[in-house]
Amino acid sequence: MSEGSELLINSRSWMRDSAPDSAAHSQEAEGGCGVLGIASSVQIPGRHILGPLAQMHNRGNGKGGGIAAVGLSPDQLGVSKKVLEEDYLVQVAYLKPEVREALEGEFIKPRYRVDKRYKVEVSADKKFVSSLEVAPPEVWRYFCRAKKDALDEFVKRNKLDKLDPRKAEDEFVYQTSFQINKKYYASSEMTAFVMSHGRNMIVMKVVGYAEDVVRYYKLEDLTAYVWIGHQRYPTKGRVWHPGGAHPFIGLDEALVHNGDFANYHSVTEYLAQRNIAPLFLTDTEVSVLLFDLLSRTYGYPLEYIIEAFAPTTERDFTLLPEAKRKVYRAIQATHMHGSPDGPWFFIIGRNCFYDRKFQLMGITDTSMLRPQVFALVDGDVQLGLIASEKQAIDSALKSLSGEFPTVPRHADRYWNARGGSHTDGGAFIFSLFPEESSPAGMRLICTNKFGTPVTSQTNSWDPREDLALAKPLPDRPRAGALGKELVEKKGPRSAFELLVRRLNELSGTELNSLFAHLVQQARKSDAAMDECVELLTLMMDGRYSPGSFRRSRLSQKANEAVLILLRSAKRIEKGDRSLYSLVDLKNKDKLRDAVSPYDKLVIDAEGFPMEGDDGVSFLIRAARERGWNRVLVIGTHGQRFLGAGLGPRSKGLRIDVYGSPGDYLGSGLDGAELVVHSNGQDQLGQILSDGKLVVHGDVGQTFLYGAKGGESYVLGNAAGRPLINAVGKPKVVINGTCLDYLAESFMAGNPLFGGGFVVLNALTFDSDGRPVDLPTPYPGGNLFSLASGGAIYIRDPKKLVGEDQLNGGRISRLTDADWKLMLPHLRENERLFGIPVEGFLLQVDGVQKSPEEVYRKIEAVPLVTLAGAIQMQDIGD
Amino acid sequence: MAEAAKACAKDLPESALVPSEHLKFVNRFEVTRGDACISCGLCASLCPYGVHKRIEGHAKILPPDDRKCIGPSCEVNYFFCVANCPTGSLSVRESETFASMGDPRWTPEMILATWAQAETGRPLSLDHPGNLGASGGGFDKLSFKLPEPVGKVDPADICTAIDLNRRGSGTKIRIPIPIYGGGMSFGSVSVYTMLARAKAARMWGTFTCTGEGGYPEALVPYKDHVITQIATGLFGVREETIQRTRIVEFKYAQGAKPGLGGHLLHDKNTPDVARMREAVPYTSLFSPFPFHSVYSVEDHKKHLDWALSINPRALMAVKVSTPNDVEMVSVGSYYAGAHIVHLDGGYGGTGAAPEIAKKNIAMPIEYAIPKVHRFLAKEGIREQVVLLASGGLRTAMDVAKAIALGADGAVVGTADLVALGCVRCGNCESGRGCPRGIATTDPELEKLTDADWGAGRISNLYNAWRLQWCELLHRLGMSDISQLRGRTDLLRHADKPAKEVGK
Repeated sequence: MSEGSELLINSRSWMRDSAPDSAAHSQEAEGGCGVLGIASSVQIPGRHILGPLAQMHNRGNGKGGGIAAVGLSPDQLGVSKKVLEEDYLVQVAYLKPEVREALEGEFIKPRYRVDKRYKVEVSADKKFVSSLEVAPPEVWRYFCRAKKDALDEFVKRNKLDKLDPRKAEDEFVYQTSFQINKKYYASSEMTAFVMSHGRNMIVMKVVGYAEDVVRYYKLEDLTAYVWIGHQRYPTKGRVWHPGGAHPFIGLDEALVHNGDFANYHSVTEYLAQRNIAPLFLTDTEVSVLLFDLLSRTYGYPLEYIIEAFAPTTERDFTLLPEAKRKVYRAIQATHMHGSPDGPWFFIIGRNCFYDRKFQLMGITDTSMLRPQVFALVDGDVQLGLIASEKQAIDSALKSLSGEFPTVPRHADRYWNARGGSHTDGGAFIFSLFPEESSPAGMRLICTNKFGTPVTSQTNSWDPREDLALAKPLPDRPRAGALGKELVEKKGPRSAFELLVRRLNELSGTELNSLFAHLVQQARKSDAAMDECVELLTLMMDGRYSPGSFRRSRLSQKANEAVLILLRSAKRIEKGDRSLYSLVDLKNKDKLRDAVSPYDKLVIDAEGFPMEGDDGVSFLIRAARERGWNRVLVIGTHGQRFLGAGLGPRSKGLRIDVYGSPGDYLGSGLDGAELVVHSNGQDQLGQILSDGKLVVHGDVGQTFLYGAKGGESYVLGNAAGRPLINAVGKPKVVINGTCLDYLAESFMAGNPLFGGGFVVLNALTFDSDGRPVDLPTPYPGGNLFSLASGGAIYIRDPKKLVGEDQLNGGRISRLTDADWKLMLPHLRENERLFGIPVEGFLLQVDGVQKSPEEVYRKIEAVPLVTLAGAIQMQDIGD
Repeated sequence: MAEAAKACAKDLPESALVPSEHLKFVNRFEVTRGDACISCGLCASLCPYGVHKRIEGHAKILPPDDRKCIGPSCEVNYFFCVANCPTGSLSVRESETFASMGDPRWTPEMILATWAQAETGRPLSLDHPGNLGASGGGFDKLSFKLPEPVGKVDPADICTAIDLNRRGSGTKIRIPIPIYGGGMSFGSVSVYTMLARAKAARMWGTFTCTGEGGYPEALVPYKDHVITQIATGLFGVREETIQRTRIVEFKYAQGAKPGLGGHLLHDKNTPDVARMREAVPYTSLFSPFPFHSVYSVEDHKKHLDWALSINPRALMAVKVSTPNDVEMVSVGSYYAGAHIVHLDGGYGGTGAAPEIAKKNIAMPIEYAIPKVHRFLAKEGIREQVVLLASGGLRTAMDVAKAIALGADGAVVGTADLVALGCVRCGNCESGRGCPRGIATTDPELEKLTDADWGAGRISNLYNAWRLQWCELLHRLGMSDISQLRGRTDLLRHADKPAKEVGK
């Protein structure tokens, strides 16, 4: 511990003693939540976080919402640039406005030189204000610096004269806020508290939803470089004060949290030993106090802070370089008791005042028990996004693309962090550095915990063509030669191949026009519509060389064209002469029986609630009951349970899902075919019994939990815990890899006698859409743990997967029988995703190999039991 | 009020004698009659309990009926048969079988009393030794402060029914007795045992629960009285099993083994069981402790919403163990949409739950119930939640105590099995260990239990219990079981002066 740390900790001894009664260390109950973070290379207004937060309503219960904004605009706040950057922006929330004078008289006036002071303006919309369950507090802003004499006295009293004066001033502000909170919040009847005091940042919170904060305090137009937002789900009933809402603050940082620790008490004790006392009694406050301790008091680099939060364990630890292991071991030994244990995911926004940068980061616990998605957008406006659900990111991009034309509606890259790992450390940091050459004045750089940069991995695209393509589809498109050729081409797949081949010859304007032309032509007949939808879907799903275009923009445009095209289908109540019929929020009650078995129902999910019996999943169910065999769901934005509730024997039904579908998609599927033309979210295919699930992207956590059968195909990766407790005969092909815990407690019989299996192809795609091998087929430490049946066929020609990754299973040779079993599924995989069996899967460094040289089988070790000699092969259907 | 009570006491099944061939030899005392007996008939004329009997016109006296004997302590009486026998051929002693049965929690008296109720449907007296265990804690330390009886109770005047949905909306379900059967999976018990419980549930208009081993086809005819359990292993959970039920139960933890998940040791995982669970026969099956898809309250809500998306009419029951923050768990479950919050305490568990876990983890249920009850009341949502308790509720009086502590009703498991003749030997984890063919799936052993016979016995037990609740309520001056809820002032703790209890 450096001298400075010791001085700071000693100066806080009074804080511990004045902490609330230790018996009252009973934690405020808190469950999960919905969290969101956006970092942008240009300042973005608060209204863009409204949409994504509103769409995560069901992750909160309206008992607490909050936002933080970092990197503000001096004009909007009515101060000079210097004041904004140098002053502490103290915001006091007055639950009882009458205490303000006393509070100012006691703490603000004697201690601070206040450069600017005003009351935060609130919404004048009477109807909205009265709709809030609890009136939000009156918030006053004070831009201030410590008064010299007060600070000198503080330094002298605490013997902090060896400390950098500015850091002593930081501590002065920190302790002053503690005193205010203690007096006005913790020990009296909660009349006021400090909402935030960091430089160039604000925190706002209310009892209500996070979007209420934005609306009430009129933050729609307030601009900032970093935004974080939080929907709270406290389990205790009558919440009447916003003090417990997130974000919580350290000094220059704000933290929101989704999860719940098991060791709140231990962390509190750990902090108490270092003279830090929580006043708000939630684990979130404790987390940010811990962060502040490690960063400001101990001065740890970010990597070590993250290690102290989410230690690297088990196999991942052994794979770290020797020097790192030594340091990490020391960190773990010292801070183990302060390490939050349990499911948690933090999003932190902070102003690194001394390094002149802003940061947004997301940190997941070692076991990845909370949902988390990261995304990156390149271009003129660079964006880093973090959320509980991918659909929230998409919603933010949709909103932002309206204001910033260069922002695509689909991120250039989405990914999940692997908690406490040697690969990425379970944390990603978006840092914004001032850069004169950048058009926005800031440059965004994303790194993982170890500081390794993360890029969007896209091709180099032409920003001008991208911008041209970003324009809305023209009303009067020019077909061009290619357009005519495409329309005449027989079969959507050959049209797709032609279009992809010729992509390089087109400008953005021409391609835009081409999409519009295709849509116009498709409206002429049902057959043309079929072909066009399929062509556009291939453009969306396929992996191909995007030429000089941005990949995310191409998929966005194809999606947009599909949406326009299918929205132009006949509304269901207007006759039944067309194969396509449209249902949306307005005419959902008009659903009628299908006329022919070939009829296609288009459900426009825009505006539908996320769940409940007036939601999309029930509409699909009703369609099934009324004889529809094809359902196309378009424009999803987080709707859950799609394809659930169809009941047994739903064979013959095919559902195509476009947009950003929500959790539990296809959970319970028993016969139907469900195709997702995007990434899936969490809990896909739980207890899936029969049928087919195809995902043209990644899937989230607990994919196929407790599945019993069916076929599933995933183009990308699965996050943590796929196929846990799966039984019966599920047959699964995952073309990427899984983060960890693949097929734990797999019990799916013997695959050679009717049981189930997973093929892990361990590939990804390069920027030209060609499949390439992943550096390691499976990075995790838990593969096929405690499994008693089924098998994993892993594509691992270089034998990189070791026995140390298994726990109970064994690696054995692939036999002809295994290959015969896999092959039809790999053929189907080839048909769906265009990943050739001979042309890629069986090639190693360009050389053709035999299946047993490429694939390895991981199987259960048969148990000899008391009950006797039943062999594995006696089992199965 | 009386009218309402009459309405809910209508059409309840009546008891009929359902004896057991196996059980009649297991008694507290053994009366033997030696060869020297001359069938003089003196003992039959002396014994007021009917142990000895001679049928009119028969020369020989019948074998003694041990069950009616009051034991060697009878020697103080002038009619003591052993002392009076002219040939000295009678003897009375404590039965060795009796002494070897049970454990302090399920005393031999309690087992015998449960069998007697299951056989006859007749209630025990409220202070019968069979109504109180000897565990030295839990419900065995609690008793009711009862006023002297005034008049006789007419069970038709007493309402013991409870509602299972007290939220404003959704399907209304009312059960005539404040109990339903807890989850015991196919695999842990035989299909005949499940059938017996389901049939009894149908007779009484209440429920039993599948447990987590799937939904055997044989239960489908009773689907209106079978709760589908969704447990962490998701074994046998399919859309149709969720769609056919009226109540879906989410099992987060079992009070007997919180934090340990479910276990089915390999011997019990017979090919039939494995087929139902779609797993590999003769491997040990473990359910994970948590739901891997649920690590927070908003996940929990999503999970309930999922079940509702499959069956929007079903009621949602949430079964949790009793951690320190059990009241938070309960409130969270309510806000997530649960209709029934089911607290499972640590006293329950068959022999298959690990000894180290049973009774050693989590909060005792008699603390958890009032804690949750009062907290829900403070939060203003007590009247919307149906709070059920389980975990070692063995007798009618245990259920009544749970209600007096603040529950609406109870969930029973082991008592059903004892009614079927379980002797509490504790070999449940072993595939061929159950001497009564209850907790087994062995194709030969399981035939020992006949479903209709079993249903009759369980129904009798419920009847005997209901009559005891009626008697209790009558003596307390109540006419509806809901009046008893939360009346801790009526309970006495054995270690404390009466006044302090519940304060």
